[in-house]
Formats: sequence, C-alpha cells, structure tokens
Amino acid sequence: MSDEPTTEPTSEQRLASLSDEERAVLAKVSEIVQKIQYGTVVLVIQDGKVVQIEMAEKFRLR
Amino acid sequence: MSEAAPNVVDLASLRSAGPPKLEVRDLVQTRITTSGQSVTAVDHVTFEVATGEFVCLLGPSGCGKTSILNILAGLDRPFSGEARLDGHPISGPGPDRAVLFQEPALFPWLSVAANIELALKLVGTPADRRPELARTWLANVGLERFATVQPHELSEGMRQRAALARALATDPDVLLGDEPFGSLDAQARELLQDEVQRVWVEREGRATFLFVTHNVREAALLADRVLVMSAAPGHLIEEVRISAPRPRSLDDVLVARVVSEIHEILMREVDKGTGR
Repeated sequence: MSDEPTTEPTSEQRLASLSDEERAVLAKVSEIVQKIQYGTVVLVIQDGKVVQIEMAEKFRLR
Repeated sequence: MSEAAPNVVDLASLRSAGPPKLEVRDLVQTRITTSGQSVTAVDHVTFEVATGEFVCLLGPSGCGKTSILNILAGLDRPFSGEARLDGHPISGPGPDRAVLFQEPALFPWLSVAANIELALKLVGTPADRRPELARTWLANVGLERFATVQPHELSEGMRQRAALARALATDPDVLLGDEPFGSLDAQARELLQDEVQRVWVEREGRATFLFVTHNVREAALLADRVLVMSAAPGHLIEEVRISAPRPRSLDDVLVARVVSEIHEILMREVDKGTGR
C-alpha cells in the first residue's frame, strides 16, 4: 500500500505552472485590486478561460 | 503568446477622460412652496460628466434630481452655484442638448414622422435628408409602420419610443433624460433601455448621456457612473463606477450586485430620514 498522500499543489507550485494567458489575467486582477478601495470584480469564464473582467467601484461622497 | 486575452474596461480610462462635457459646481436650488416658504431642493451638489460618458443621477422622489437636469437643459436657473457645458455657463436651452421628458412631449397636430422632421429642421438638417433620417430612426425604435399616424393614435410606450427617436435623430452631443421610461410598462421599458444602450455604444464615445431616475435597476443597467443622491434636500452621497460591457442585462452578476449595494445605500438614507 502506498503511503504517498495525494496533496493539493502549494500556491508556489500553482503559480509556477500557470500559462502566459493565466498570468495575464492574474496580473490584471491584481492591478484592479490595488486600484479599488471598495468594489466588486467579476470574472466571466467560458470554456475554461477568463473571457472578461468586469468591475464596479464605490466612492463615498459625503 | 500575446498579452491579456480578457476584455477589460479600464477604470483609469474613465478618470483620465478629457475636459468635462457637463459640470455642476456647488449647485443650490430652492423652490417656493404654496404657503410661501422657501425650501432647499438641491444642496451644494458638485459633479462632472466627461464627453462620451453615460451617467445616471439616482435618488428618491423629491431629492432635487429633476431640478439639476432642468438647469443643465437650460430650462431653469440655479439659486447659487453654476452649471457649465463645454466650460461655458449654461444660459438657456440649445440644439446641442436633447431632453427626453417623462411624458413624451410630441406635437399632437403633427404626424410621428413630422415630429422628427421638425426637430431635424430646428437643428439645421437639410430638407432633403429629413424624411430619410426620420424613417431610419422610426425603424430603429420599431415604429416604421406608424410614421404617418398622429401621437394620440399611439400607446404611451409607442409615443415615448417616438420621442426617443426624435431626440436621437438630431444626433445631440448631450442627451438629458428625466425619468424617460418612468411611465412605461416593463416590456416597453426594457426595449427602450436596450435601444438607448445600442445608440450610446454606436456613437463610440461622442455622445454624453445624463439620465435622472429613481429606478436603481435602470441606473445600474445603463450607466458608467451612478451618482446616488440623498433624500431632500438632495446632495450626493455615493458614486458607483461600473465597468462592464454593453449591452448589459439585469441578470448580469455585476449589475445585480451593484443594484443590491445601491439599494442598501438608499435604505440607510431612508433610515436616517426617519431617525431610526
């Protein structure tokens, strides 16, 4: 009997295995996250790919 | 592989837009009640609308949003503060701004097509181009078969469609809407919301739309920016910038989320108003 546990990849392993396309999506998302103080980001996925990033940003005015 | 496959509407592009098309600075508007008292309707409101932006001014009834629109349309003067178009103070109505009122203000003695042709004449469209433009715009709002009928022969929804066609046919720089779909049934409203989105997209950043509404869903569906006003005396309390492609649907995740957040903001306002 094998005692090798089936572990989930670590975040480092995940990041290392990303395709260029996936990297571009994550770079865009992190850019948005850094820019927005309050808001919502929606990733639209089709056929296993992020095809659109939508967002809403809120500002308190008074 | 090339950079960034996903389609992103960048927030920064909205912020770095050129000089404002419309500006409202420290605007105060008062009105006199029947008992002679002076009531503040708009309380020091300041905002800008960039060229090509679609902004909705959202607030409860009586918050002064129509007063602001009337001032921008040049139909009313502010008590204090100022309203500018292309950097110049607004002193009266002009062909550069089309206004869509809640009631379709069509001339009852003219046919639907003649209403549109008259508007085209007033903005200086050559006579030989008017009939064709009128036909095109009536077709765009699904009224091509009703060109020769008079407004009273149409339903309320059809009249508002004709008014929309008239407003858009003149290719205005600015379209101001005062609850333009407020009196329509749900289906007619949806049809016109789609039409407005289509036209706005087609103008590719040349047309500036400012709509006043108390309908949260309409604002979230249509606008790049929703400016949320408090109850009377109206001031701006929150701004929501929405970056999502058009045409949008009320079922879109982001639209639905924005609707619920704005509802929450407005409910807080109501609670404040009732002292809870």
